[in-house]
Amino acid sequence: MIAPPFDDALLGRLSEASGVSGGEDAVRRILIDDVRDHVDTLEIDALGSLVARISPAAPRSPRSKGSRRSRRGPHVLLCAHMDEVGLMVFAIEKDGRLRVRRVGGIDQRILVGQVFRVGASGLRGVLGALPPHLVSRPEREKVISIEDMYLDIGASTREEAERHVAVGDYACFDTAYEKWGSTRKGKAFDDRVGCTVLASLVKKRPPVPVTAVWSVQEEVGLRGAGAAARRANADVAIVLEGTASGEAPGASPGESAPLMGGGPALTVQDRTLMADARLVDLLERTGKERKIPTQWKRPGVGGTDAGRISLSGAGIPSAVVSVACRYIHAPAAYLDVRDPQRVTALVWHTLESLRKEWT
Amino acid sequence: MSALPGVPGHEGPAAEAIAKAFSIHADRVERDRAGNVRGWIEGTAPKPRPRALFAAHMDRIGFLVKAIEPGGFIRLTELGGFDSRTLLAKEVVIHSSPPIVGLFATKPPHLLKKGEADRVIPSEDLYIDTGRSERDVRRIVPIGTPVTLRQPPVDLLGGRLAAPAMDDRAGVAVLLGMLEILHLDRPEWDVVMVATVEEEFGLYCLGAKTATESIDPQLGVAIDVTHGDMPGVKEGDTYVLGSGPAICVGGNIHPLVFEGMKRSARALGLPYNVEGCPITSATDAMDIQIAREGVPTGVIGIPCRYMHTGIETVAPEDVDRCARVLAHFVAGLEPSWRAEEVLK
Amino acid sequence: MSTLESNVDALLPELLAAFGPSGRESGVRRALRKALRGLGTLSEDATGNLRLHRPGRGPRLLLATPMDAAGVIVTRVDASGLGRVTLLGTRAPVELVGSTVVFEDGRKALLGYDRGPGSKNGADLEADQLFLETGLGKKGEREFPVGSVGAIEDRPARLGEFWCGANIEGRAGCAAVVAALRAARSSRYDLHVVFAAQSGLGARGATTGAFGIDPELAVVVDVAHIEGRETAGIAVGKGPCLGLKESGYVAHPEALALLKRAASAARVKTQWLIREHEGTDARAIRAARIGVPTALVAIPARRSGAAFSLAHARDITQTAALVAKLLAGVPAKGGSR
Repeated sequence: MIAPPFDDALLGRLSEASGVSGGEDAVRRILIDDVRDHVDTLEIDALGSLVARISPAAPRSPRSKGSRRSRRGPHVLLCAHMDEVGLMVFAIEKDGRLRVRRVGGIDQRILVGQVFRVGASGLRGVLGALPPHLVSRPEREKVISIEDMYLDIGASTREEAERHVAVGDYACFDTAYEKWGSTRKGKAFDDRVGCTVLASLVKKRPPVPVTAVWSVQEEVGLRGAGAAARRANADVAIVLEGTASGEAPGASPGESAPLMGGGPALTVQDRTLMADARLVDLLERTGKERKIPTQWKRPGVGGTDAGRISLSGAGIPSAVVSVACRYIHAPAAYLDVRDPQRVTALVWHTLESLRKEWT
Repeated sequence: MSALPGVPGHEGPAAEAIAKAFSIHADRVERDRAGNVRGWIEGTAPKPRPRALFAAHMDRIGFLVKAIEPGGFIRLTELGGFDSRTLLAKEVVIHSSPPIVGLFATKPPHLLKKGEADRVIPSEDLYIDTGRSERDVRRIVPIGTPVTLRQPPVDLLGGRLAAPAMDDRAGVAVLLGMLEILHLDRPEWDVVMVATVEEEFGLYCLGAKTATESIDPQLGVAIDVTHGDMPGVKEGDTYVLGSGPAICVGGNIHPLVFEGMKRSARALGLPYNVEGCPITSATDAMDIQIAREGVPTGVIGIPCRYMHTGIETVAPEDVDRCARVLAHFVAGLEPSWRAEEVLK
Repeated sequence: MSTLESNVDALLPELLAAFGPSGRESGVRRALRKALRGLGTLSEDATGNLRLHRPGRGPRLLLATPMDAAGVIVTRVDASGLGRVTLLGTRAPVELVGSTVVFEDGRKALLGYDRGPGSKNGADLEADQLFLETGLGKKGEREFPVGSVGAIEDRPARLGEFWCGANIEGRAGCAAVVAALRAARSSRYDLHVVFAAQSGLGARGATTGAFGIDPELAVVVDVAHIEGRETAGIAVGKGPCLGLKESGYVAHPEALALLKRAASAARVKTQWLIREHEGTDARAIRAARIGVPTALVAIPARRSGAAFSLAHARDITQTAALVAKLLAGVPAKGGSR
């Protein structure tokens, strides 16, 4: 079978939606609209993850139970997380300024001077700092702590601010999705690119029974995926991710890997997972057979939902396939759209291989 | 309740007392394999009924005896996080049989070297003196014996109470308050109050994780203390004592539960605060939420000053309000209420 | 020589030398399968645990011991044949300097380190200062692709009363458990043994193994490193340590009492283990499912910041004797240390 196309337009819509960990509503709504007509069942679970089930078309001629089972292949859990890193409003001061805290891993040095969209209404706010004229030289050698930053929505009293914003509201980067050549620029490619790959896969009926999970709260401790995995009780799991590429001036080829545009990045190990050796082997082999270039994600760094999924219940063999993006966890990232196209194809063909040979 | 021992892993005596207190109003009280005490209120809806779990941890931070040194001085290992600066010259109870008293020994100013008083003593360098002979200490105190701070409750002005273990015996008091309300004003749901073990120590909130696994609730709420107002802390980091409970919002909390608790507070005309928890609530809710196939979770906090000392201070009216808000919230739940949504 | 002792002496060198870095425990699984032949029904699970089941009418007991060892993963190899690695497990990088890394197919390479500017004695060494000398120049990159998983080669030795090896941490417990299983042919429990994979990565095998088995009681057998103030008062050669508290673990009073009775019935002298920073699979198993009363017995071992550890032969056999007694059944009450 021919692999489904990657839905570039969906990536744009998802990238611009706000979905800071714990506030994934808008992302979930877009995905529901996108996949509803293509899946057998669709639910929002107790934590907010979106869970779809989809089975291959029934075989034409009835056979014995055993052989039908083997031809249907293993039940595969495919997972991508909806949430992104951002900020939460945790206090509104008398003069209408908002105190914020980070949700997920953000280098606080990138925050000053950024524009944010706050709350469900998407109200704009700016994260200000004193102009250099008012800061002493020694002071300018120091990193500005988030404890000293305020989000300014233009309100001048608490009452005015409270008409628009409440404690607990999330704020996301205000970044437009843009494209030039095969490059895509936008926020939250970690992991809206995985979300898009997953939606692209389920919109064509996959060759094995699939539970698709768009999980919540990956960035704050892999919280959504474990519960969804326990419920799905799948035989195998593949997590679809956006991961950090390593290019920088002066970096050797080894240090730069995985490269943006270098094809699907496969994980052997990260801080949360030893990927299942058979599954990694199958992914690599499928890439070779289908002439899809693959590369290795750098071992030893990062962690994904696969860590939690692999330890759910009595354990699930798990692997991760990623799109290498530059500048994740920052306002704007780049990716090469050929990469998610290849990830979509690689995972699709791997599902076909799983159906044939996984026991 | 602040006088009951119960360091993590050694909650037995506290559990007994709490079970007894639960049994006044609960339909059924049990202790599970992990050591949690559960008090059930049976709902009025036809069976099978949904279950709501309310958790407050009954363990308190403390120590175990690690070694007995020549002279009968006792070295401790911590269970839960103390600031060693708060421990000097405090009295303790060593829960041997019979229990004995000791104190964190210090040097008098006369014997201090120059500059010594400006240095913090790390907790592994602290030791307990029981005023008894080494022989007696070795005879009475086995290695591994629990030790807790000894401080009778102090009534402060305005009805405020300072005592050890308000974290989270104040939360257990909320559970008792809820039982008192709910055994008369029956909810449709089954409600189970769980005094949990080992929130303060370990990889997991052991009691919350295991209780959720075995009870399989459709709703879970953690009741714990939150930081009360203290000088030198920024606005929004603490909540004024007596200003009502802090209802938490954030990823660890399901929006429906957050909204429901706020609605109940408003319906009862009770004051409340909203506390933002950007990453974690650092309560039992962490493990309730991700247990089993996921549980919609809420968190409510009782403002408490001087957390993790022997003089944790709360305003009892906050405890009472907390119980009333939660009882109202759970009593208002329809049997069909679920956080999950089936779209197709 | 007792049977326990001869069993341990015969088993341990082979277990120590077996390939089995965390997450790739193939070699040690093979060695254990051979050693466990006829002792129960064997199976493997998704995390890589090797499981043995010996049905019985009593309560479901989980006996768990880790089987993985420290390892490295190649993160890149440059044109000069020098590679970079990330570490599997909790060893400090300095402990691995000078070790031989062996890969599953038998290829070998050496671990060296960059003496960065300002580095004094290597104690502050970071993992990214370690390098893998493949000796292959340009070909290194092809021969050791990114993601290759290697183990620290162990050349076990018997030094007087001590067993010495790089993998003592993961394998001394296995030897004790196998010896105990051979000694206690019948058990008063429905016995499940888990030789746990990925223990050094955060008790991962124990987490899934315990969930799958859903035990009513668990005993963890492991090794405790005796090093500095953390374990002051514990001596190698003075008997197995009973765990009172460690990182993430407080002893369950009744499970501990059972272990104490077993020790006393087996006439095994024990020591107390209280430590702050290190932990074992016990912390994960106790939180499995609805909670599992869990006890811990640890073989003390000297590490001294080196690539090898030393364990006293008697401590290993005494641990086996204690576990064997536990399996055979100890009186319900009475008997104290």
